[in-house]
Amino acid sequence: MTSVSQPRIPGNFFAARDITVIDGQFLDMISDEALMLEFQGGSRQAFEELFARYREPLYGFFRRRLESKERADDLTQETFLAVIRATSRYQPQALVRTYLYSIALKLLAVERRRDRRTDPTPPPDAVGSALENSLWVRQALEKLDAQEREILMLREYEQLSYSEVADLLRIPVNTVRSRLFRARMALKDHLDPQPSRDREGANK
Amino acid sequence: MNTHPIEQEELMTYLDGELPADRAGAAAGHLDRCRECQSLAADLQGVSRRLMEWQVEPVSQEISAALATALQKLEPPKPTRKIPRWTWALAATALVAMLAIPSFQLASRRQKVEMMTDQIDAVTPHRKFPAPVPPTAGDAVLTAPMIARTAELTLTTNEFDKARASLEDILKRHSGYLGQLNVNAPAGAGRTLDATLRIPANQRDAAIAEVKKLGRVEAESQTGEEVTAQYVDLEARLSNARNTEQRLTEMLRERTGKLADVLAVEEAVSRVRGEIEQMEAEKKNLTKRVEFLTLQVRIAEDYRAQLHLAPDSILERFRNAAIQGYRFMVEGVVALVMFLLSYGPSLLIWAAILFFPARFAYRKLRRITVAAR
Repeated sequence: MTSVSQPRIPGNFFAARDITVIDGQFLDMISDEALMLEFQGGSRQAFEELFARYREPLYGFFRRRLESKERADDLTQETFLAVIRATSRYQPQALVRTYLYSIALKLLAVERRRDRRTDPTPPPDAVGSALENSLWVRQALEKLDAQEREILMLREYEQLSYSEVADLLRIPVNTVRSRLFRARMALKDHLDPQPSRDREGANK
Repeated sequence: MNTHPIEQEELMTYLDGELPADRAGAAAGHLDRCRECQSLAADLQGVSRRLMEWQVEPVSQEISAALATALQKLEPPKPTRKIPRWTWALAATALVAMLAIPSFQLASRRQKVEMMTDQIDAVTPHRKFPAPVPPTAGDAVLTAPMIARTAELTLTTNEFDKARASLEDILKRHSGYLGQLNVNAPAGAGRTLDATLRIPANQRDAAIAEVKKLGRVEAESQTGEEVTAQYVDLEARLSNARNTEQRLTEMLRERTGKLADVLAVEEAVSRVRGEIEQMEAEKKNLTKRVEFLTLQVRIAEDYRAQLHLAPDSILERFRNAAIQGYRFMVEGVVALVMFLLSYGPSLLIWAAILFFPARFAYRKLRRITVAAR
């Protein structure tokens, strides 16, 4: 709940609108939240700006979590589609970023469930090809506990704050912190199998 | 590990920039000194770096049909959309404005009548106090045109001192003030007085009439500049700028972003602030010009030449002559010494150089004349 932004007053909505109208150069200075409110008021321009800001990050989110490039793109667009369809559901108290990733996480869960139903054993090899140089990293990540991996990825790739991660996964911030630490240490050991600290610790 | 003032997790939190400021200082200090923690920090940063090796290719720019149609549907805002609260506020404001404007006009008409009676009063010489406040600029926008007036008067008088005193008296009575006052008293001509007076606009006629009585009017001019449009325009720009400033500061407060963005917003804020101040000054100046008449008065004294016939005494003249003689003598000596000092050395050199050829020539000449004899 710590990620809740300041309460927004209607004046802020005016603000965004005026700026867009007066001079377009300010558009990129408007906060996501103001854009979202403006979009709720029917502005297509505001939506396009949000789309431009979050398309790449959301695509990255899906791409790193799914095997298929096409599905990643589809789900990215579906996320925005969900935003359009549920325009009124966005509460100004939440950060747009958190809101978008929460939709994305839900879509991802649905997608994974369907994958498991249709094709219980995804070909482990189909991923590689274009991403050779990151293969080690990807394999090391695979070895992590599912939730620790999710926390680590949200933090590193989506650059979310601890409290945003906590909000999204509905766990306390302290849990996020300790799991993140554990995930990082584990990943370090996976990536760098020459043991230093752990061996020593085990010997003692 | 127990010797560390901060835990490993806390160190990670610090590196992630998530540690509260009061703990962050301690963490930074400890990290500076502790080797073990430095190596942990290096490990954590190494993990982050390694993770960044996994980069995703850029997304294709195609937009799916579903999204495109959804976007198209977005274009006309839904008519069923609930009316935002601010619309009501707007409507209420409009209603109030509609009710308010006629009453404003009534009020101002009343005020104008008062002004006129004031002016009539002002002409009679023994008014105690010329009070009513000039209509404020805000009302003026809604009602009467705003006119910035200036007047120039050139007078001559033979009672210069009296004129000056009564000028100050007039100012006082009409609660005006003095913008500038210059008095010149050259030796061979009459004195002149240049003054810039600021007089409340509603008393200008009375004041001008009184000033005219101070002497013979040689020139008079009055101008009026209509500044309503200028004022309204200024108001609009000012309120725009204020809105912009408010938005920017809100943005600064509520939106966390890249440092560059924050700096850009801050720069914009200070620019807008500067503009606002400039416009406020302009507005104040404009209001002042409307509320106060600028009256340039030039009063010249009729010049009466005076004959100076007091001759100096003889003794005085002798004394002056003696002093002058002494001064000439001293100056002559000083000049000679100065000449010798500055040209002496080079004269000596030339004399030394030319002495022998001159002597030789002289002797030869003498020998010739001797031989010739």
